[in-house]
Amino acid sequence: MSLPSIRPWTWLKITVGLTYVFMLAPILVTIVVSFNAGTRSVFPPEGWSLRWWYEAFSPEWQSAIYLTLGLSSTTAVLCTVVGLPLAFGLVRHRFPGRKLLILLVLGPLLLPTLATGIGLLQVFHWTGIFETVGFGSLLVGHVVISLPFAVRTISVSLLGLPANVEAAAASLGANRIQIFWQIILPLIRNGLVAGALFAFIHSFTDVNLSLFLSGPAAAPITVKILGFLEFGFAPTLAALSAISLIIPLLVVLAVQRTTRLGDFVYAPKQP
Amino acid sequence: MFGVHWILIAGPALFLLLFFVFPNALLLSASLLKSENQVLTSKLTLDNFGFVLSKAHYQRAILRTFVVGASVGLLVAIISLPISYFLIRTTSRFKGVLITLSLAPLLASVVVRTYGWYVILDRFGFVNDVLLNFSLIEERIAFIPSTGGIILGLTHALLPYGILTNLAALSSINPNLETASMSLGENRCRTFFRVVLPLSMPGLVASFLLAFSISISAYATPAILGGYASRTIATHIYTFIMQVLDWSLGATFGAILIGFTVFILVLMFRFGGRRLEL
Repeated sequence: MSLPSIRPWTWLKITVGLTYVFMLAPILVTIVVSFNAGTRSVFPPEGWSLRWWYEAFSPEWQSAIYLTLGLSSTTAVLCTVVGLPLAFGLVRHRFPGRKLLILLVLGPLLLPTLATGIGLLQVFHWTGIFETVGFGSLLVGHVVISLPFAVRTISVSLLGLPANVEAAAASLGANRIQIFWQIILPLIRNGLVAGALFAFIHSFTDVNLSLFLSGPAAAPITVKILGFLEFGFAPTLAALSAISLIIPLLVVLAVQRTTRLGDFVYAPKQP
Repeated sequence: MFGVHWILIAGPALFLLLFFVFPNALLLSASLLKSENQVLTSKLTLDNFGFVLSKAHYQRAILRTFVVGASVGLLVAIISLPISYFLIRTTSRFKGVLITLSLAPLLASVVVRTYGWYVILDRFGFVNDVLLNFSLIEERIAFIPSTGGIILGLTHALLPYGILTNLAALSSINPNLETASMSLGENRCRTFFRVVLPLSMPGLVASFLLAFSISISAYATPAILGGYASRTIATHIYTFIMQVLDWSLGATFGAILIGFTVFILVLMFRFGGRRLEL
């Protein structure tokens, strides 16, 4: 290759390197600051200590972490249970109003989560269900906003499933229930796991919805950190931020051992 | 008669109608209702919009929200294109790792990402320390809270979405087109600008509109990096709903956000190469 054809690529590499620094630096800074020995969040840290991590595991914050974990896991399971029949109906059947239903399913992804949050709060107030906001109200909201991720991912794996597999099973005498449990479900297992994972992550990192549906006793860790930030950027909050990053990271790493996630991150072109 | 698909979709569809469509419809209708002493009445009125649009204080917040949205959209589109192009075309054996690393920030909530910016940009933060050390400034500068801080923080937060959008769009460009262009005597730079760039337009437009639509309703970043001096529609909504308890004005701002988001979505489906598919 001649020299002038190499140089633009080198420039591109430099640009890309700087982009990575821009993307990762603030996150790394937060993690480093949480190990600071001083009482202020400064970078580079004034010595090292684990005191802020110790404080981050106080009973009060622990309960917030458990609440968030419970909320996001339940959301992931419910999204998969609700999303599977929805994806199945949309992928395998053509019916009047199908486009409208797709719009309805993707809606929570398209419209501002903030508005859905206020609207839900109003609905809960008016109808009297979940009169005191907390886990129940959060759960309903989180299932609504995380559902699109589950449905899309499950749809991708259903689209990759040859339709004649079912015909083959049926011709060999399997009934509908057997086909579903013994043929389809094992084949789309990856899609189900990935869909549940994306729903979990979306729920775990949400702020805009939880902001309105949390109660004083029941607030996810993101909202709780945000509330405390108003009083100052204490290093404990940096440690808690790091925890709220490490949990989804560990979950992704654990899932990745058994499931290829890359196939679902940016969906392949439909046939 | 009813086929099996109706049984499959009826439950989930009902759930979404109840807890997604109904709340948003309620919000839109509340913006058209008069409220007296913080209680909604059944009187239809456009006063809420008149009030919000006539106060200079709120006008500035609305203007700021859209300046932020447009700037963030532009920056996200411009920054995410080169890295996406690199990730699609690189032959490095670390390609998989690099793609993962570029999307990893999605695992961090906005709160985590904004905290880092505070430490970097604060009056007593990293950048000020460095500038003072090299005597480039004499007095500490307050970079945040500011509108610029909001734009920076949101660009950072939404970059992975831009990369995802551009990766999807660029992956459909045939690499042979670039080889052909170079074999016909164009250099790599001109090939990029005359062959790749026009073909990546739908991805660019889509990432601009996506970042625009998400950033106008972002709450955490403006709240932390914008503060009380640089308020946006979203931070006003929070104050109205959670602190002042004025539902109709909160709903009015919410309706403005929904209206503009729908407008952007229409543009996205029209020009961003998006189709309404799962």
